[in-house]
Amino acid sequence: MNSSKIPLDLILERMAEDAEKAQQRVSKASEILQGQLSFELGQTPYEIVYEEDRVRVKHYSRNENAEDKPKVPLLVVYALINRETMLDLQPDRSVVKTFLEGGIDLYMVDWGYPKRKDRFLTIDDHVNGYMNNIVDFIRKKHNIPQINLMGICMGGTFCVMYSALHPEKIKNLITTVTPSSFNTDRGLLHIWMKDLDVDRMVRTFGNIPGDLMNLGFLLLNPARLMIDKYVGFMENMDKKEFVENFVRMERWIFDSPDVPGETFRQFVEDCYKNNLLIQSKMFLNGQRVDLKKLTMPLLNFYGEYDHLVPPTACNQLSKAVGSRDVEDVNLETGHIGIYVSSKFQKLFAPKIVQWLKDRDKQDVAASKTHSARPAARKKSSKTEKKVRAGKNNQAGTAQAI
Amino acid sequence: MADEDKQSPFKESYIFPWFRAMDMWLDLIKATPAGADTDLGAQKASPNRFTGQMDTNINLLRSLSRMIREPESASAMANSFIALPEIFLKMANSGFEAALQIQNHLIEKAGKIGKSTQAYKFDNLDQEVFEALNNVYEKELRQYFKIPPLGPARFYQERFNEMLDKYNLFENMLAEFLSVLYLPMEKSFRVFQEKLEQLAEEGNFPRETKESYAIWIKILEGHYINLFKSSEYTDVLHRMLGQLEDFIAIRNKTMEDFLQLFPIVTDQDVDDLYKEFHLLKKRVKELEKQLGISPNTLTAVK
Repeated sequence: MNSSKIPLDLILERMAEDAEKAQQRVSKASEILQGQLSFELGQTPYEIVYEEDRVRVKHYSRNENAEDKPKVPLLVVYALINRETMLDLQPDRSVVKTFLEGGIDLYMVDWGYPKRKDRFLTIDDHVNGYMNNIVDFIRKKHNIPQINLMGICMGGTFCVMYSALHPEKIKNLITTVTPSSFNTDRGLLHIWMKDLDVDRMVRTFGNIPGDLMNLGFLLLNPARLMIDKYVGFMENMDKKEFVENFVRMERWIFDSPDVPGETFRQFVEDCYKNNLLIQSKMFLNGQRVDLKKLTMPLLNFYGEYDHLVPPTACNQLSKAVGSRDVEDVNLETGHIGIYVSSKFQKLFAPKIVQWLKDRDKQDVAASKTHSARPAARKKSSKTEKKVRAGKNNQAGTAQAI
Repeated sequence: MADEDKQSPFKESYIFPWFRAMDMWLDLIKATPAGADTDLGAQKASPNRFTGQMDTNINLLRSLSRMIREPESASAMANSFIALPEIFLKMANSGFEAALQIQNHLIEKAGKIGKSTQAYKFDNLDQEVFEALNNVYEKELRQYFKIPPLGPARFYQERFNEMLDKYNLFENMLAEFLSVLYLPMEKSFRVFQEKLEQLAEEGNFPRETKESYAIWIKILEGHYINLFKSSEYTDVLHRMLGQLEDFIAIRNKTMEDFLQLFPIVTDQDVDDLYKEFHLLKKRVKELEKQLGISPNTLTAVK
């Protein structure tokens, strides 16, 4: 007797099993959702050391017992979209925690929530204004000429601009998922922004509402972000840890400050539409952002499956800068997966810690050599690495972001 | 003439008692002592303004009544009363005709919608429908919002009409946008069915709903990626955003018109002020920098 092509009996049997499991799951989920859940973000203690208008700087206490603590503090600059709490999502997925355990003296910019009065703030106000003041504050506090700078996404673009305009103040630069070349059709944002009537948008909204941008980001992949993500939640809502992580992520994703109108206008016009930055043709307050002046060591991370800032938008930077010590790291994950996926926790932040320590050691060695004989120019190279890591469910969600 | 009067359904007797009653009321009003409610001597001497006006009105009615009582006028009035039902009928008829004309026009348009959907490919189906609906709105309804208002409040009325117009346009555009967004869903179900059929043929029909779901969501994702990369989608997205922005802009202006009635500042006032603040702050910060004053407000507080 031939077996049926559609085993209806089996399918119905499985469906009945599924229904039973679903009922049990809902019953357990009800207990979990009504119980005590911990989904707070950014729990690592910090102190606010700087405040200017809406902008604040967080300072974290590092592990003083860590080996080879880097001597130079690190300033992390997040994007104006979403919040920096993503770097300290939860204790076991915290870039901040890894940095502190590695002995990094960490400062982080909290851009706050722009209000209507901030609509006239330009990129220059952020880069040459707030960022420059913060860098000066840290330099003065530690009595050092240079600090390390790390940027995330749009914050990374700001860091690139800053480092090109003030190279004397930056020792090492780390860019992560940072768009610098915008003339690509790999990312949907790059396609959509090309024809956006940004003047009309800014005229209408003043600041660009975070909710509007959220909707735009959801529309980048509605199948995953509006359906599959919640199906995944329904399937795992009987697991307390999963629910906590999920809610934490949801809270972060939809915590979206508005973007100051003039900054948005300039970013779309100069970067997305005219691609001026990578050509060293962008101007901030009359000063040209010349990438060849970016001579400090550069570590450039990006995600292979990043659909917001595709690799082609990130990997052009290393060729455009004047630095000879450049390393590109291509991680096989998405835009947020780099920071929050459990697998990349072991690859991303520890790599940065080590890279900074190595640069510190090189300085010590160079200073010793320098004291022994006249300076010999360090031989360096531009390299690219591709790093793989397995996928897991949470990372899958993060990848889609 | 006498015969005409007899045949006429309009009788003097119907209206004259009214005039007589009016005369009586006028006499009563005239009998009321002027200025009874005031002690001011100056006002006592002057005639009552109300009775004076009434007097004029009644005199006018009396003279009209006199004229109507003349045989020629009475005959004309009688004729007009006879014609009244016919006039009403004509008015109603033209109204119905106008309504029918619009309805026929709409039916005709709707018919065209049907024809156009059949004539085009599936991908363009919804867009054609929305284009046709937009045409109906543009040609049949939008004109009502464009009727020029008159009088001193015309600017406000114009703005309000424009807001309604922009809202309707945005609604139409949003419907089109949502329909485009729904297209991948529709297509994915069709492809999913084909895929299931193929798997069944191969004897690999998914046994678990989770498997089927995984196949469908992958198909859906693929369709969305294709859609989002298309110039058609970018065009619809930008048009939708444009209509939304137009509506918000005019809504804000209408709101500002309304707020002018109250002692409340408007967005425009505040924006002007913010811009001045922004420029002023930049100058102050620059000066502070030159003087070596830290911009860190935290240390300033301490």
